[in-house]
Amino acid sequence: MAIKELSPRKEFYKNLVKQKELVLISIPFFIYFFIFSYLPLWGLTMAFQNYKPGKTFFEQEWIGFKHFENLFTDPDFYRVMRNTLGMSIINLVLSFVTAIAFALLLNELKGRIFKRVVQTVSYMPHFLSWIIVCGLVSNILAMDGGIINDILVATGLVSEKVHFMGEPNYFWWIVGFTNVWKSMGWNSIIYLAAITSIDPALYEAASIDGYGRFGRMWHITLPGIKSTIIVLLIMNAGWILNAGFEIQYILGSNGLVLDVSETIDIFVLKRGFGRAGGFAFGTAAGMFKTVVSSIILVLCNKIAGWVGEEKLI
Amino acid sequence: MKFFIKTIAWIILLSLLLLSATSCGIDGKMDKAIETGLDILDAESEYNSNLKLFAGVEPLPDAGEPVTFNVFIRDPGAVPSKDNPVIRRIAELTGVTIEFEFLVGDLDQKVGVIIAGEDYPDAIFACEQRFIDAGAFIPLEDKLPKYKNLHDLYSPHYEKMTTYDGHQYIMELYLSNNPSPMFVNDGPGFYIQKAVLEEAGLVVPRTLDEYFDLIEQYMAKHPTIDGVRTIGFEILSDGWRDFCLRNPPQHLMGAGNDGDVFVDLNTYTASLYQVSDTAKNYYRKLNEEYNKGVIRADTFTQSYDQYISKLASGAVLGFFDQGWNILQAENILKSDKKYERMYVAVPIANPGVKDSYLDFRAGTITGNNGIGITKNCKNPDRLLAFYDWLLQREVQDFIQWGEEGKDWVRVGQTGRVLTSARRELNNDDGKKRDLTGITLWNYSPKMQGLYEDGMPCGPTDSEDEYVASLSDYDRRLLEMYGIKYPTQLLSEPVKRPAYYPVWSMPIVEGSAAALANSKMVHTCRKYYPRLILANPNDYDLLWDSFVAEIWKNDPQPYLDEVNRQIAEAMELE
Repeated sequence: MAIKELSPRKEFYKNLVKQKELVLISIPFFIYFFIFSYLPLWGLTMAFQNYKPGKTFFEQEWIGFKHFENLFTDPDFYRVMRNTLGMSIINLVLSFVTAIAFALLLNELKGRIFKRVVQTVSYMPHFLSWIIVCGLVSNILAMDGGIINDILVATGLVSEKVHFMGEPNYFWWIVGFTNVWKSMGWNSIIYLAAITSIDPALYEAASIDGYGRFGRMWHITLPGIKSTIIVLLIMNAGWILNAGFEIQYILGSNGLVLDVSETIDIFVLKRGFGRAGGFAFGTAAGMFKTVVSSIILVLCNKIAGWVGEEKLI
Repeated sequence: MKFFIKTIAWIILLSLLLLSATSCGIDGKMDKAIETGLDILDAESEYNSNLKLFAGVEPLPDAGEPVTFNVFIRDPGAVPSKDNPVIRRIAELTGVTIEFEFLVGDLDQKVGVIIAGEDYPDAIFACEQRFIDAGAFIPLEDKLPKYKNLHDLYSPHYEKMTTYDGHQYIMELYLSNNPSPMFVNDGPGFYIQKAVLEEAGLVVPRTLDEYFDLIEQYMAKHPTIDGVRTIGFEILSDGWRDFCLRNPPQHLMGAGNDGDVFVDLNTYTASLYQVSDTAKNYYRKLNEEYNKGVIRADTFTQSYDQYISKLASGAVLGFFDQGWNILQAENILKSDKKYERMYVAVPIANPGVKDSYLDFRAGTITGNNGIGITKNCKNPDRLLAFYDWLLQREVQDFIQWGEEGKDWVRVGQTGRVLTSARRELNNDDGKKRDLTGITLWNYSPKMQGLYEDGMPCGPTDSEDEYVASLSDYDRRLLEMYGIKYPTQLLSEPVKRPAYYPVWSMPIVEGSAAALANSKMVHTCRKYYPRLILANPNDYDLLWDSFVAEIWKNDPQPYLDEVNRQIAEAMELE
């Protein structure tokens, strides 16, 4: 008996009716994403207009790529791109290395209670808002009563107090290490979870083969979480133009470090909502950032495919 | 469970350690400034005794239908308590409640956000051309003449209030048609601690060298003040308040608080004082002072709050700032009775140049610095009627002075002084906000200066009150100087030309002029701290690269726009 073939269209409708509950459940999400993710894309048209608030869409003057021209000829733009990439790469490397190392070390701990306490304490800062973290950082690094300076002077490591917050060379690193402090514990959770799924028999086998602790870490644990690492790397690389906003905005607004602290987000905010640029120019800068981010994300995904890992999309 | 408790205990212990590590900053003087100190009972009894007040004032006809208006204020500030007795009484008589929204963060960006969303409150006080450009305000020229008190206040200024499109939108807030003399400088100046002047034998420093000599001498003799290490000179550079860093050269050149340019009053052309020889010498002087230890590097990285708490500790000898910006610190010093640690502005200018810090308050307006009613306003006529009602002399009198006998007493024909109880209340920011109508008064069209019969509109306009409120220390100091009030240390207030000031000029958003201005300010903000902290041998080199960067970013479009607007204003005169 031959199975009666349905035409593709009929099959589609049949499936639709069969899965009507699923379709129904997805409607709210469809509406949500349409309103909050797709509708605002309409605003990107602003980047090609000499946008004036208070006028309707049809009264706006279209000027093509003028704003992009201004953007790419503005030396400030290259400065903020440099800062964004610099801080982003420092953040990416530091937070990856520290989170993985921390997870590996934590995994080796024997005392269950001690391990839990360390883990809890280490991810607590994740829940602090940036404004509080920045307050802590600027107090700790202050010249006047800052504990770091006090220790440095008391131990004789430096003869004169260091002006941490006013030294351009330190700023990226302050941002990097603050990020580490805030997110290391939190980021390591996912690696710890991945480690628990490694077959204990592998460790036993390695022990029998004569591997010590570090040998097992290197040959069993790390390869065991390799795919997690790659997936996270792809996800994070797509965010490479998001070097952060709050910490640079709060700690980096003084003139001494202004040149190295402004990221593309701050640039978009200052120009878009400030007097010097206007909404349209800000939109153009923001659009550039989104386009570049998307390209990087696709590239990283491709690279992951080449190195033989699961692709994210 | 036991484990759980242990974890919690650990967390608490660790957070305590963390907190104690960071709390060794300067002592918590700010606490006093933000303490509200409002007693609900105070407000209630105050309200009951106020019931009889405004007895002679007619309520508004639609007082029975309560309405609330939202007003955005461009200043950071605090909203008065809901129990505020005066504001409550006014709401009963008029049916109108004003909900203030004060600025949090950066004004420039906040304005952008409001316009982007067209999410206008009922009225806006922002001094921002962009609202007018975006069509946010409703024209007032047909409405104002219908309200007697508003018309009386604004009719002398109708011409200057009219903007480029022929409409009037803004009701200027800081305006007096019959100004009182200025007793204390609430504007820009080089401020110095009174103790420094006293110890130096009551001299008046007139040049930068004299000013810093006094500070250095005092510092050498008093390395600490009340246990805190003495700071010679502070330079506030926090965000938009960095005028303390950028503005001084124009004042040294003998200009008022004009803005980002120096205007030659013979030719009425603008130039950049930022790159003048005066500026070069000024920042060189600061560089020398930094290397002598008079200025400390962290002055450039501190926040406004940290700055105020330093000033309030009494250990700072001098700074350049505007009077209103340091009021908080002055009030704390006053309530601590450290009168000798309070500040006075001195007439610092280039040698041979007459200082010009004070504006002659001749009843002129900026045309921009006031309240506009937005097109979203529920009921503009009702709001205007409310403002008009507030402008009645009885109401103004009550808000500013309070009740005769209880809050103030009469002196002579037209004079008034506050009672000591009310004076104390006025000195306490929190109580003043929560027990008097001062916030409402301050951010509504209001009477300032003197009435036609010579009666002062408010305590700050009254010479009698000024003299009566002086501390014994101040009285003695003024007597020894042979002057009646501290502004007499400075030159006479100067009558400014029609264009003044440049900072209130509307610059079109996104224009070449706006961008040039922003880049120029950015360059200054970046280079000045570096110049001050530089090795003295590198100063000239660094200065040259600063000047080169200013010209590289071509400031000409901004200068052209300013020159155009100056010419326009001068023609009008």
